[in-house]
Amino acid sequence: MLKKKICLLGSYGVGKTSLVARFVHSMFDDKYHTTVGVKIDKKVLTLEGEELTLMLWDMAGEEDGAPVKLNQVKDASGYLLVIDGTRAKTLEVARSIQQRVEAEIGARPFLALINKADLRETWEIPDSTWTELTDSGWTLLETSAKSGQHVEEAFFALSKRILQAPAEEDEND
Amino acid sequence: MKTTDDLFAGLDLAVFEEQPDGAWHAVGLLPDWLALPAGPLDLLDCFPMLEVFLPDCDFAKRSQSDTWTEPDPRNPGEELYLQAVACGTDERKFLALRTLPGELLTWQQLAHDVELEKEKVERLSRELEQKRREAERATEAKSTFLAAMSHEIRTPLNAIIGMADVLSGTPLNTEQHKCVEVFQRNGVALLNLINDILDLSKVEAGHMELESTDFDVREVVAAAMEVVEVRVKAKALWLNQILVPGVPFYLTGDPNRLRQIIINLLGNSIKFTDRGGLEIRVECDPGNPSARAGDQINGWLRFAISDSGIGIPEDKLGRIFESFSQADASTTRKYGGTGLGLSISKQLVELMEGHIWVESDVGKGSTFFFTAHFGVQQDQTDRKPVSTERTSVEDLEAGISGLKILLVDDSDDNRSLILAYLKNIHSHIEIAENGLIATQMFRKNRYDVILMDVEMPVMDGYEATSEIRKIEAASGAKPTPVFALTAHAFADMAVKGYAAGFTELLTKPIRKVTLLEAVAGHSSSGEAVTHAAPAQSMEESFTVMVEDGMEDVVPGYLEKRRAEVPLYQTALAANDFETIKNLAHKMKGTGSGYGFPRLTELGSILEQAAIGDDAAQIGEALKQLAGYTARVKLVFP
Ligand SMILES: Nc1nc2c(ncn2[C@@H]2O[C@H](COP(=O)(O)OP(=O)(O)OP(=O)(O)O)[C@@H](O)[C@H]2O)c(=O)[nH]1
Ligand SMILES: [Mg+2]
Repeated sequence: MLKKKICLLGSYGVGKTSLVARFVHSMFDDKYHTTVGVKIDKKVLTLEGEELTLMLWDMAGEEDGAPVKLNQVKDASGYLLVIDGTRAKTLEVARSIQQRVEAEIGARPFLALINKADLRETWEIPDSTWTELTDSGWTLLETSAKSGQHVEEAFFALSKRILQAPAEEDEND
Repeated sequence: MKTTDDLFAGLDLAVFEEQPDGAWHAVGLLPDWLALPAGPLDLLDCFPMLEVFLPDCDFAKRSQSDTWTEPDPRNPGEELYLQAVACGTDERKFLALRTLPGELLTWQQLAHDVELEKEKVERLSRELEQKRREAERATEAKSTFLAAMSHEIRTPLNAIIGMADVLSGTPLNTEQHKCVEVFQRNGVALLNLINDILDLSKVEAGHMELESTDFDVREVVAAAMEVVEVRVKAKALWLNQILVPGVPFYLTGDPNRLRQIIINLLGNSIKFTDRGGLEIRVECDPGNPSARAGDQINGWLRFAISDSGIGIPEDKLGRIFESFSQADASTTRKYGGTGLGLSISKQLVELMEGHIWVESDVGKGSTFFFTAHFGVQQDQTDRKPVSTERTSVEDLEAGISGLKILLVDDSDDNRSLILAYLKNIHSHIEIAENGLIATQMFRKNRYDVILMDVEMPVMDGYEATSEIRKIEAASGAKPTPVFALTAHAFADMAVKGYAAGFTELLTKPIRKVTLLEAVAGHSSSGEAVTHAAPAQSMEESFTVMVEDGMEDVVPGYLEKRRAEVPLYQTALAANDFETIKNLAHKMKGTGSGYGFPRLTELGSILEQAAIGDDAAQIGEALKQLAGYTARVKLVFP
């Protein structure tokens, strides 16, 4: 069976754990439990008639003094870059993570998720920034772990990209 | 083997050893926090973290993995924080799994919660700031709009009220006379309304600034009483004033605004009083702490305006000082007035550090109180008896006959109005259609009085007046009184106007008597000089209005120019005209932009002098530059 590792990267508190909980368990918790280290979950999905096991590495959010551990991302097939739409700062963190991944362990498929779409009125990220990011080659998706909006779509879209991407070196079975 | 089991159990570790076939087998008992599926064990499948950890770890050196989180099999919903430790010898490889203490989470969670809370507060304060700025902009826009509108309304009103005044001075039959009176009364009412709205918007926008001049409080009260006198008489009321002994007469503050408050309150009382009368009482504020301590002369006064009118119901007392909130909307219809007077009074009183309130008995009357703080002049010896007498128009006209007057105005209507006002004084009046023509005429002739419109095509009143001041300064002539005729009623106009050298500003619509009084006040030979602005008022205009938005840069700019003076002096001593030319050129190019036309002018003089190697001229200009930069006063918006 095909197995792919996906990492969820981004600043702390952006909703990485919540997105996984929504996707895997169809649950949402308003209370914030920060992730220690990494929490690994598994989800089997059928994509274009084929079964695919996703290993979801929900990593501790990046913060000052604790950058994302790239050694854990190294063998991932792709990643979701999560941004909190209500905190402009988390977009900068995402940009910086993306650049480090590219520079230090090489490019791989990724999708940027602007999460907390249910709070869109309070978003701090202007539409011009969207255009700018899209122009620079990013694929963006508005998601909400709370309402479930675009959560499945996000994981499926990334999986498709991974399967379509020229397999550099398939470490997984 | 049993002892090893016990040992591991005591350490609370899950230990595994690598078998020759690569599989990991448990050593001893596994702790109860580790839930592994039954049957043959694929440790890497259970703990994917090991896939990342094992390939890179050094068993000989006892390496530790990164932490990861697992569900706690003993407590559903809880989590465990695990870490793998690898150790061994060349022959044997061991892997131990251990749990990390929960405190790890506690402080991390706390740190994140605090950070998120901080970000939220920052975001909210940013939003608040944004809202505040938007509100400010809106108020700003409103007051700019009102200012512009009031200008547009005042100008035609000027013509209407003025012409009505003129008309009332001509032979009329009774009916015509009544008509003219209606013009006059309604024109003035409309003007008052515009002034009220303008005042209110200015206070709201924070643009209202109080003057600080010496005045006699008795004169202010008398002037206010005089204004309402006609209305008091018309309703057959009486009007008393009580000045409690001990009140200092000679104060420093804004007499015009104080008079405005008193007139508003008197006017309001008259409106609601049909029987009996009114009383205005002035005393030292008994509620002021230092007054209670026996210090009476502290500048805190309390004014009380009582009437025997209809009174105000208790439930309306609180709202009476709000804009557009006359106790009853029908009141406006029945008693007239805008109801803005009280609201303006409240704002003005607060600017004077005081407060305003009302006590009322329905059916018996009301008393409006307000307190205000003034400076107390040193000398309180009674200088002159209060006189409410006014010179009649005829006396005024007689007093200023025979003058040579230059009237500068581009509007035909305005010119005919002023000419009509001056018809009875036997004067010689010349006319200029704009500032440029005026300065050309002024070069050839001398005038006793100049009446100068402010907004004109080709050359406006400011420029023309400063030009005239320059011509006078160059010839050493005595300054001619220049009266600005302006439809703008803003304080910054005054600053700009006095800086340009105006003797006095007359705000349109100008009443005949106001114009005559102003001219009379400045044209009698002796007084003209004392009242007029100093001869070099342009050259020595030491007040500069800082433009809105420039507050941050103007002081620094001025400071730099001040600091440059020694550089010029050093260069001059070394005959280094090149440096002087460069410095001066820059100042010439920038001065006006920062609101200092004088610096541009001096820059130009210095530059020219430096080009001509004229050390004497440079020395003279430097003196002026030093004096100007040291003394110029910035007025902030
Ligand atoms: N309104 C709303 N809240 C969300 C959404 N996603 C997550 N949250 C809330 O945001 C907070 C943080 O969510 P987490 O999923 O723990 O964020 P994380 O990125 O895993 O954070 P770390 O583990 O600290 O890196 C929690 O209080 C969630 O309930 C969303 O889509 N909408
Ligand atoms: Mg998390």
